[in-house]
Amino acid sequence: MPGMVSTSQPTQQSFNPYTENGGTILAIAGADFSVIAGDTRQSEGYSIQTRYAPKVFRLTDKAVLAVNGFAADGNMFVKKVRQRLEWYRHAHAKDMPIRAIARLIQTMLYARRFFPYYVYNILGGIEEDGTGAVYSFDPVGSYEREACRAAGAAQSLVQPFLDNQIYFKNQTPAPGTSFPKHLPLSTVLPLVIDSFTSATERHIEVGDGLEIYVVLAKGSTSLQGITSIRGVQELTATSEGERVFVIRRDLKKD
Amino acid sequence: MTSIGTGYDLSASTYSPDGRIFQVEYANKAVENSGTAIGLKVKDGIVLAVEKLVHSKLLVPGANRRIQTIDRHIGLATAGLLADGRHLSNRARDEAANYRETYNAPPPLKAVADRLGLYVQAYTLYSSVRPFGISTILGTVDEDGPGLFVVEPSGIFYGYNGAAVGKGKQLAKTELEKLDLSQLSLREAVIEAARIIYLVHEDTREKEFELEMSWIGPETNNTHLPVPQDLLEEAETKAKEQFEFEDDAA
Amino acid sequence: MDHFPTNWGRPRNDAIDAYGTYPIHSRPKNDQDAFSAGVQRTQQPIVTGTSVLAIKYKDGIMMAADNLASYGSLARFKDVRRLHPVGDHTVIGAGGDMSDFQYLQTILDELTISEFTAQDGHSLGPAEIHEYLAQVMYARRSKMNPLWNSILVGGVKDGKKFLSYVDLLGTTYSASTLATGYGGHIAQPLLREAVEGREDTLTEEQALAIIENSMRVLFYRDARSLNKYQVATITAAGVSISESKHLETSWSFAEGIRGYGAQTQ
Repeated sequence: MPGMVSTSQPTQQSFNPYTENGGTILAIAGADFSVIAGDTRQSEGYSIQTRYAPKVFRLTDKAVLAVNGFAADGNMFVKKVRQRLEWYRHAHAKDMPIRAIARLIQTMLYARRFFPYYVYNILGGIEEDGTGAVYSFDPVGSYEREACRAAGAAQSLVQPFLDNQIYFKNQTPAPGTSFPKHLPLSTVLPLVIDSFTSATERHIEVGDGLEIYVVLAKGSTSLQGITSIRGVQELTATSEGERVFVIRRDLKKD
Repeated sequence: MTSIGTGYDLSASTYSPDGRIFQVEYANKAVENSGTAIGLKVKDGIVLAVEKLVHSKLLVPGANRRIQTIDRHIGLATAGLLADGRHLSNRARDEAANYRETYNAPPPLKAVADRLGLYVQAYTLYSSVRPFGISTILGTVDEDGPGLFVVEPSGIFYGYNGAAVGKGKQLAKTELEKLDLSQLSLREAVIEAARIIYLVHEDTREKEFELEMSWIGPETNNTHLPVPQDLLEEAETKAKEQFEFEDDAA
Repeated sequence: MDHFPTNWGRPRNDAIDAYGTYPIHSRPKNDQDAFSAGVQRTQQPIVTGTSVLAIKYKDGIMMAADNLASYGSLARFKDVRRLHPVGDHTVIGAGGDMSDFQYLQTILDELTISEFTAQDGHSLGPAEIHEYLAQVMYARRSKMNPLWNSILVGGVKDGKKFLSYVDLLGTTYSASTLATGYGGHIAQPLLREAVEGREDTLTEEQALAIIENSMRVLFYRDARSLNKYQVATITAAGVSISESKHLETSWSFAEGIRGYGAQTQ
């Protein structure tokens, strides 16, 4: 009968195992470098939980992973990926190449197809052939290699900007010229910083701090450029040639 | 030994015609081959002391501990097979944790000793197992004051005011009986325990040994902890003095 | 006698693979019993605690929580301790379901005893306790059977201050001021204003004044709070949790309010 409450099944308000913790990440690949960045704000609803919770993690000297979405899943996922990379090191006495890490991440995400890690992953680094790489994933493991990708709360603000500035979408080259396939680090870094200051301005979940990881290939020409940057810190652990740097910047805290 | 060759000593599940279980008696022999362990129950605490025989100079000092902690307020010292002692202390920890889980209260030592007694006794029933080659001294301080028990290879256990097991147990017991245990302070008990261990060691003229001591009482907030290094050294110095005196007299 | 070790200790069910035709590692499970449909999981908290506050200050961490456990809107238990010491360097404070919190106290007690009995010269500090709690909370949420709490973990070990949060989803974060529940909205802005940039200079008296003021504001504004609370300090010297304190409050301003209610002039 309409309006009658069913007594056969007790009704329960079911527990929601997910939440959304805001923030934005992006990565851009150059010819012989890769840049992976994320803001450091963690929020839930209108509350800022902390102004410093890293979303970008150095995995090896040639791979950096950015995670965005549900923070608890993100931290657990990074922990599990690192564990698998350590096992790989114990078995093979070398770091896992980035294209293998990308496939590993797909496998790990898809293993949880029916109870997903609610996380968008962007993996950046250097391939075995020395080229800069960016891999982007959806929460259940679908992935592709790209030249640039933004994800998270301000994806819809940042990605169109990147499409225009990196891929030169909606631009026409001057007659007799063509657009470059890869941009130099000196062009890419300001684009990254501008992306985040703009996202901070227009999105309430983005801000507080910015961490930009730069991975350079063996003998990359961008080396002189980066060591002169204010407050840059080197995180390289091996002597294989690839080098990892992090640049930290403040973003507006309002 | 009369039991040898009769066949009645081959299994813990076989009695001899006069009602003995030789495997359990052999287990007691294993205990008697081991360095002495003693326990003192005094006015407000417990002291455990072990004569740990060092069979090789290559061993790291402090290795192969024979005193274990079972719960915050319970300590355990064994004489006999070292590995058996470690197995039983793990079992004791599980039993203590299980008691806490069930009753949400720190386990009284009697309950732990009771459960360990049952466990040890089970190893005297079957042909497929060997009885524990250890005697175990258990000490505690709880809201009812100090408590001291000894679990033997047969699974039997008794409460004591002063306990001694291992090679020098006869002499140690004689020395313990001379003490007025109920009037001793914890610090005095530490000194006495060290003296007794040194005395029984001197008696057996054994190889090198390390003195291992722990205590429970007001000084430790009723938790089981190793005797601090400075007090241990003081006790050892005093323990050695007794022989210098004898040497002078002789 | 069942000759298959994988079946030992499980309910017997001849309807499933009675003759053991599967290889041992892939035998079908028969551990569903007739009552499994009736098993209930925590889908909502019952007896609840409200905010917990914590800040960093010169000597370490200061944490506060009131003594109330509510049953819905009923102030059911008014002498509940929501701050709990773990080991010698850590205090945890919990909001949310109080029975789940008591369960956490029990397993943390087990953990500290098993660490103590090892006698290996190591002891768990606040970072380890927090990591352990986070793993427990995340594992339980992943089983869709959460422990319904938000918890602050604070402590000092090896000269390092530590303050972190973990909740029923397994979400974690740290900052120099933290607040759970209603305090996250009401007290957190006050705490940030008073503490940020002064973590290493605030004295214990100043810290206590900041905490007391925030607890008072919470009591005025949070209907599920109480004017009786405890403060914990964790410093290099160890852990201390105060006896219950009473908040001084003033209600005389209510007399002067005009414009609604019975008095219109």
